[in-house]
Amino acid sequence: MSNFILRKAEPKDVSDILRLIKELAKFEEMEEQVILTEKELLEDGFGDHPFYHCVVAEVPEDHHSSDGYTVIGFAMYYFTYDPWIGKLLYLEDFYVMKEFRGYGIGSDILKLLSGTAVKTRCSSMHFIVAEWNKPSIEFYKRRGASDLSDEEGWRLYAIEKDDLVKISTMKR
Amino acid sequence: MKFKVRAARKEDCKDISRMIMELAVYEKMPDQVKISHEELERDGFSPNPFYECLIAEVPDEHKTKDGYTIVGYALYFYTYSTWKGRSVYMEDLYVMPDFRGKGIGKGLMAKVAQVGVEKQCVRLQLSVLEWNKPSLDFYVSKGAEDLTAKEGWHFLRFDGQTLDTLAKEAPKD
Repeated sequence: MSNFILRKAEPKDVSDILRLIKELAKFEEMEEQVILTEKELLEDGFGDHPFYHCVVAEVPEDHHSSDGYTVIGFAMYYFTYDPWIGKLLYLEDFYVMKEFRGYGIGSDILKLLSGTAVKTRCSSMHFIVAEWNKPSIEFYKRRGASDLSDEEGWRLYAIEKDDLVKISTMKR
Repeated sequence: MKFKVRAARKEDCKDISRMIMELAVYEKMPDQVKISHEELERDGFSPNPFYECLIAEVPDEHKTKDGYTIVGYALYFYTYSTWKGRSVYMEDLYVMPDFRGKGIGKGLMAKVAQVGVEKQCVRLQLSVLEWNKPSLDFYVSKGAEDLTAKEGWHFLRFDGQTLDTLAKEAPKD
């Protein structure tokens, strides 16, 4: 199937984007952790201060998915900052529906985002992958990705809302 | 010791750059610092900033032996979780060695947390080097969880030649 297009997401795509986010979360065995709503996606991506950018993959009507969808893949990214090298492009989510894999759609999305990174003066594209996700790790390593957790020992830490509120009111 | 935490101004970038280098030396990677105060000025103080920064300042009578009154910083930016929405990512937190143990690190982090809560962020994320025990202990005591251990997340990167090679094959508009 060579018939697909990649385009910038528009406000009308938020319901498809949320559907694909949930499918990816299901694959990562963390579906119940998705609490984001269409309303938040709309405000946060298409308001005055976008927190993310999104690219979608779309097929023509006659190639729609088994349940009738034409938006069959997406990638969400934003810009971050490394005080050593400057701007970076951070790939937050990247997903193509199972029945549309093997046609080069994922590959083209990655190339498109690499082009965006270079055009916007980013030194690097960063992302995280779960260590058990062998197919994805292979996909990225085949294209030259390095694993900074293995090579340099970086570990990801998170502080959730309740503790964040406690910290913000800490006395000296 | 009295100290003040405030939002960085463009003219603070030389001090921030100095401390970025000190932190890189501590992390055993000083040769990886490629940008100077000029890029920091351009990227943090334009209409569309790519980061925000807080600095910790001491009164003149407590200045360092080299004469600096800016003794710590926290550099952060906003990220997005497709599961939970707005997040804040604290990229760097640093206090000069002579000024540690006085609550300055705690003060900087409290301010980042406050900014995050005000902007309706659901969490704060950061990354720490696995051998950096003092920092790991500091963050864990504030409620941080190691997601690399708990959920298996690894950081990956495409950079330099690899990024350029991928970019050359990008589909045409």
